[in-house]
Amino acid sequence: MTAVITFEFPLGWLAAIPLAGALALSFWQHRKAGLQKSEIVRLILLRGTAFLLLAFLAARPVWITKEPRSSAARSIALLLDRSESMALEESDTSRFKRAVDFLRERLLPAFKSANLTIQAMLFDKNVEAADGAKLTSTEPKGERTNLGGAIAQAIGSSSQPPLAVIALTDGAANESADNTRALTALSEAGVPFIGVGFGSDQGVRTISLRTVDAPPAVPTKTAFSISAQLEIMNADDLPAFDLALFRDGQVIQKKSVAPGKGSHMWLESFQVTEEKQGEHNYTVQLFPPNLLNLKCVNALANTTVRIADEKELRVLYVQGALTWDYKFIGMALRNDPTIKLTGLTRTSKQAIFRQNVETAGELLNGFPNSIEELASFRVIVLSNLRPTDLTSAQQDVLARFCSELGGGILMIGGPATFDSSWQGSRLEQLLPVVFSAATGVQGLDRPFHLQLTDDALQHPVFQIADNRPARDVWSQLPTFTQYGRVDAAKPGAQTWAVHQTDDGPTGRRILMASQHYGAGLSAVLTIQNFWRWRMAKDSEPLQFDRFWRQLFRFLSEVGRQEVAIHLLDQELHPEMDVQVSLEKQPSPKNITDTSRKFFVRAEDSQKNVLHEETVELEQLHPVDFKFHAGKPGVYTVAVCDSLKVPVSTRAIEIRNLNMEFQDTARNMETLRQWASVSDGLAVKVEDCRDAADLVRAIMSKVETQRQNRQHRRPLGTNVVTFVLVVGCLGGEWLLRKRWGLV
Amino acid sequence: MKAKLFISCVIEHATGVLLLAVLLTMSSSPIIALGQASDDKHATFFMGRVRYSANDGNDCSGVGQDLMKLVSRASTLKIQEERKVRLTDPDLYETPFLFMNGHNDFVLTEAELANLRIYFSHGGFFFASGCCTNPNFPRAWRREFNRIFTNEKVKPIPYDHLIYRSFYNIDHVRCLNEPRDIQLEGLFYQGNLVAVMCEDGLCCAFSANNTCNDGKGVSPEDGQKLTLNIAVYALTH
Repeated sequence: MTAVITFEFPLGWLAAIPLAGALALSFWQHRKAGLQKSEIVRLILLRGTAFLLLAFLAARPVWITKEPRSSAARSIALLLDRSESMALEESDTSRFKRAVDFLRERLLPAFKSANLTIQAMLFDKNVEAADGAKLTSTEPKGERTNLGGAIAQAIGSSSQPPLAVIALTDGAANESADNTRALTALSEAGVPFIGVGFGSDQGVRTISLRTVDAPPAVPTKTAFSISAQLEIMNADDLPAFDLALFRDGQVIQKKSVAPGKGSHMWLESFQVTEEKQGEHNYTVQLFPPNLLNLKCVNALANTTVRIADEKELRVLYVQGALTWDYKFIGMALRNDPTIKLTGLTRTSKQAIFRQNVETAGELLNGFPNSIEELASFRVIVLSNLRPTDLTSAQQDVLARFCSELGGGILMIGGPATFDSSWQGSRLEQLLPVVFSAATGVQGLDRPFHLQLTDDALQHPVFQIADNRPARDVWSQLPTFTQYGRVDAAKPGAQTWAVHQTDDGPTGRRILMASQHYGAGLSAVLTIQNFWRWRMAKDSEPLQFDRFWRQLFRFLSEVGRQEVAIHLLDQELHPEMDVQVSLEKQPSPKNITDTSRKFFVRAEDSQKNVLHEETVELEQLHPVDFKFHAGKPGVYTVAVCDSLKVPVSTRAIEIRNLNMEFQDTARNMETLRQWASVSDGLAVKVEDCRDAADLVRAIMSKVETQRQNRQHRRPLGTNVVTFVLVVGCLGGEWLLRKRWGLV
Repeated sequence: MKAKLFISCVIEHATGVLLLAVLLTMSSSPIIALGQASDDKHATFFMGRVRYSANDGNDCSGVGQDLMKLVSRASTLKIQEERKVRLTDPDLYETPFLFMNGHNDFVLTEAELANLRIYFSHGGFFFASGCCTNPNFPRAWRREFNRIFTNEKVKPIPYDHLIYRSFYNIDHVRCLNEPRDIQLEGLFYQGNLVAVMCEDGLCCAFSANNTCNDGKGVSPEDGQKLTLNIAVYALTH
């Protein structure tokens, strides 16, 4: 241990100058008063000591100690990953075997030469100490990789923190609950993390059934799709495999799937029609081809569909003038009996044109001024409108429709209507984009292609073709020629599509975007003549139709249920407590409804009740509860009102997903991040040609950490100093009193 | 300068008054050239005037423009100049509303029929009118349009169809020269009306005040109402 005193405010020593002057003056006064030399010296010594201490304190002294060079008592913690991803074989050997060989044949001898001791541990989702025999006999089959937990355990397991933590791993960590604890431990102990990465950066061949999607509710005798999202990674040429659809446990359809080449994700759909009302559980099972080194991440996924002749979804299409978009969107919805399109078009300043109204009086006076009149609609489309076409009161009603009733709003426009005139309006506040201030821009009629963002490509709304990647399908859309320019997406908005070439202040001009607004959702489409897609000679009208149906369903579903059921956990797996949050939504039927008492029940797939309670719910005050999901399967959370009438349900699928094979590529980025926060090191194993060099690099990091690790303690601000100063000044005063000077 | 301003002011006011009068009463005034046809690229309604066979799309010249202007009465939308289009042009698929008229017999090629097949299945709409109650054009139209789809034939559109109520409520339209109702005919695709034809000189009625077809076919008032209904139907169905 080495120590040194430094001063944080050296200029404080300058205070000694006037103090020295004061001492000289008192010396002269004492001489003049006729004191003896010995008496003067005693007085000056006492006062000078006190002054010196005060000047010392004014310079703010700090006591700094540094740790000694590594002592024999401290070892190096070595973490060996035994999760299942380490069992993946590359170049005829598994990652785990390669890591053990590297440790035994190269790393341990190098540490031994450097007189360093090793504390070895095996980790997956847990950590345990291991000796040489255990290291070699262990099978890598851990279900999870908790690197953070292992680091924290390695640092905290003994009274003395290790000199360094070395992890031999593929970096594919899939548990993050202990990361914060590990970061704190690394930082407080000043221990560098050294990550040595095993495996290939590309990963191995995997196949996975990611999700199964179906509409939550479908009328009887209506065809609907159950879509399975499949993914293959690193597979050059996979043979065809089978996919089966089960309804309530019985196989009802089976198909053979040709997966194609390369890494990609795609949808496979089953068309289903149900004759009777009821609720069915649909399961899709993937039968992967029996190939060496092909890992199946997940082979089973479920969804629940309620077959009911429920009230149709109503869309109100408000137009400033008749447009072709209205016609073609109407065509898209024509064969869907569950969506009803109602048109409200301004035909002159004083005249309106209504279409598909339900009663003679509906919308008779144009766009409603009260929210009650909009309550029967789930989505409102505003097309070709200028701000002056809607009064402030009507815009306010629209905002409340979205935020309070959970309705969906879609604004369609083009260069003639989508401009800065909307800036500052009530309606602009709820839209996901910032309007451009520039007007009269030339060239907006030049042909351009629409480019979908990655968010949109993964979004169910944009999955418009079966068995083909969304990117391919959307890239084949025809060119469009008219678009309104917006400057940027608002914070929290999701951009769906951008212009191919036109750049705005924050990137490519946005053509489609959406955002949550209160309980609802708002979206914009800034292309004027989107109908060109359906008309184009080479287009497939069914894709256009499917897009619009899916978009309207998406916009309508957001706030549809009276009580929203949210899941607080991002990742669900068996043997976990599922956290659920319930939030009351405004009721479109009766927005003044004040009933707050609800019954909530959670059941497993065998209808065993796992949780049941009465809850008091009100808007903006969510109530949380949890239930234990022991096994994989579909669990149901149902909320009933005070009359025991179901108002909301949500199916929650708990799957035994093989997280270890979800991403099989070596993840050096994870190791680099751990190394970066601890001033450590992350290296690929193939770059460690000489283990002695690696040990030297590790020890260099340890030494740097040691150098940087200082203990600072303020000096002098204690009782001893205080007593000393008071004692010196008090003694000096007593002497002067004794000698008759005071 | 002042005189110019005065004239433009008078024209502007007169236009407004006349438009209002026409909309409210649908009078038989021949002055209907008050629309907003322009070459505005932002215009949302435009019509393709079909060139076919030996016909260059010029029969009853002005009828296309008058149709466009008629549509402008039913909407605040901007109207573009008519486009001349052949059934084999790529532009066909950018023109959701086609208008065709003529006096004479004609034959469509296989390529034209194939394009119309795609055009209709993608949502296009076709409005045809025989000129001056000449039977040759409607006869040819029926024959040729019966060739488009194997299972769909041209048939009369009954008066309970939505096309008679898409803007005005039309119970029936009497023929001026025969004791019968005017009968629109149509071609359907998957249950949707995609092409409409009137053999009784409908274009003469709404465009030329029936002067070329005097005493025959449809009255100008009925012709304007019927035509507007067809256009609005095309825009909304």
